[in-house]
Amino acid sequence: MTARTMGTPVTQEMIRRALEGRKVNIINPLVALLLLISLLASLAILVVLLWDVVAKSMPVWQERGWSVITNDLSPRPAETGMIQGIFGSVMLTVIVVVLSFPLGVAAAIYLEEYARDTRLTRLLVANIRNLAGVPSIVYGLLGLSVFVKLILEGMVGQVSGRTLIAGGLTLSMLVLSIMVITTQEALRAVPLAIREASFGVGATPWQTIRHHVLPVASPAIFTGSVLTLARAFGESAPLLLAGAVLSTFFAAPEGTPITDLVLGEKYTALPIIIYNWSRQPQQEYVALTAAAIVALLVILLVVNAGTILARDALERRNRM
Amino acid sequence: MNFANRHLLRWGAALSALLLLAAACGGDDDRDAPATTAAPANGDAPAPEGLSGSIEVSGSSTVEPITALVAEKFNSANPGVGISVEGPGTGDGFQRFCAGETDISDASRPIKDSEAEACAEAGVEWVELKVAFDGISVLTSPENDAVSCLDTGDLYALAGAESEGFSSWSDANGLAAELAAAGLGGSGAPYPDAPLVITAPGEESGTFDAFVELALEDITEERGQDEPTRVDYQASANDNVIVDNVSSNPTSFGWVGFAFFAENSSVLKAIEVDGGDGCVTPSIDSIADGSYPLSRPLFIYVSLSRMTDNPALGPFVDFYLGDGLSSVAEAGYVTLPDDEVSATKAAWAGAG
Repeated sequence: MTARTMGTPVTQEMIRRALEGRKVNIINPLVALLLLISLLASLAILVVLLWDVVAKSMPVWQERGWSVITNDLSPRPAETGMIQGIFGSVMLTVIVVVLSFPLGVAAAIYLEEYARDTRLTRLLVANIRNLAGVPSIVYGLLGLSVFVKLILEGMVGQVSGRTLIAGGLTLSMLVLSIMVITTQEALRAVPLAIREASFGVGATPWQTIRHHVLPVASPAIFTGSVLTLARAFGESAPLLLAGAVLSTFFAAPEGTPITDLVLGEKYTALPIIIYNWSRQPQQEYVALTAAAIVALLVILLVVNAGTILARDALERRNRM
Repeated sequence: MNFANRHLLRWGAALSALLLLAAACGGDDDRDAPATTAAPANGDAPAPEGLSGSIEVSGSSTVEPITALVAEKFNSANPGVGISVEGPGTGDGFQRFCAGETDISDASRPIKDSEAEACAEAGVEWVELKVAFDGISVLTSPENDAVSCLDTGDLYALAGAESEGFSSWSDANGLAAELAAAGLGGSGAPYPDAPLVITAPGEESGTFDAFVELALEDITEERGQDEPTRVDYQASANDNVIVDNVSSNPTSFGWVGFAFFAENSSVLKAIEVDGGDGCVTPSIDSIADGSYPLSRPLFIYVSLSRMTDNPALGPFVDFYLGDGLSSVAEAGYVTLPDDEVSATKAAWAGAG
């Protein structure tokens, strides 16, 4: 039994009964019905969308099989493939996880658990919320001017700073504020009583956070982070500005080590490939675009399902 | 070549520089030198007989398919050379080219004076090489029987600066009569009384520039107008959007590069164009012999300034002008006649 269900809900339920008595309520089922209809409507849109892309992509899977996944990009639609985009997207996500997850969680812990409620703190929190609402293209401009031009081409001295690391840094900035907010909410949902009990037996703030607050909040932090990462995975606008290659052909020199593919070579990402294929003149690209969308969705679903399983495992462990 | 270590080191250097910045201790790249020499070369380090390096191409989306095909062939013969080919548009391409960021700029029109100045200021020297021909196809829906041939006066009456606000084809009748009286064409009038819905490339596109130059510019000047075209049409950088819009509306109007028309000729109707010598349908033949009035050359611009640092660039251009030119037809464009090929090769030999 988690702490969340202790105390308040019981009294609320008692108050409600006392106030309403045994009157028959028709508004309630009506509202429930309307809400159900809205749910079904949004599900219907999803089903239609999925059906449309899957049906359009079928010819590609039948004719090309796995080669459409495993081939490099080619200007010939019959030979092209999306492996470069999948590699780019996966590496971008790894960079985003490594950078923004620890930073975002740490910032949220500071704001929720340590920072005193001063005017400055409130200003900071308000600004983080504003940042989360900034359109992603603006982060693309930031990525281009700061990471690509100033740091990589200026300070590091690369000929071209349009590399995976620049894209990863840009996406990290994009999701950082969202990461802070979701973590803040998760921490806020941890009942104060838990902290008070921990302090009561003489634990330090850090011991309280480490052993009591974080374990309770971690499933929610986890879920929030995954949704955030899924967003980063599907972004294309900031990457277009921050230098992802929008092309039907690019190749790194053969035998380039992976560190160099990340730090010094050109890259592309799956959403970029989808965008580029959708604007090609040849008819074959209609099915290819659908296939790339299906690939993107499948990867996202697998990642999401994986995290849900991991989160449930985490929750079970915490309950014990 | 030890790129990996060099990048890692530089990154390390940059990160530590950032950290040290607070301590007012500006880090520098000194440590790079000894570290690089100290690091033993990778096992495969001895320079192979093959080329290495990387080539960056940007520019016209019209030329991109040709260069991409050439690049793929070159890369499979020289896997040690990394190549990227992008197509944001001729103007965007020249911007990066003249900033010294790219090795080659694809272009669907010659470089503008302002762009050449930018190149000169940045010290970027270049050579212009003509590689193919393209025609601009003026389009409507196959269901539109009323219009089959237009002259440049008609195009001006329908899409030029003075056509702003015309929402029906027949709105242009008066303007066409005025042009005809002035001897500027307009022989396609009277136009059908049907909605005029235009979708065409936007200003960033080389196709836009070429259409303005080939079809509209003379009359625009003659009439003392400032705008190159009417501004109240739907502009799209995505040629497929243009094709979709034109094919889905029975009285639509628009223009795209010939390759896009050729790929979608089943759902589009190309309007014949009269440049003064009768109506001509856009086709590979009429574009190659220049009889189709709205045809244009396609170019690549090679940065001579990047040649010294980039040993792969020269061989790539050699390959482009040799075996590579077969990609022109493969990409759906019109190949240069033999004398033009020789002229291009001579220009390259003179520059290299």
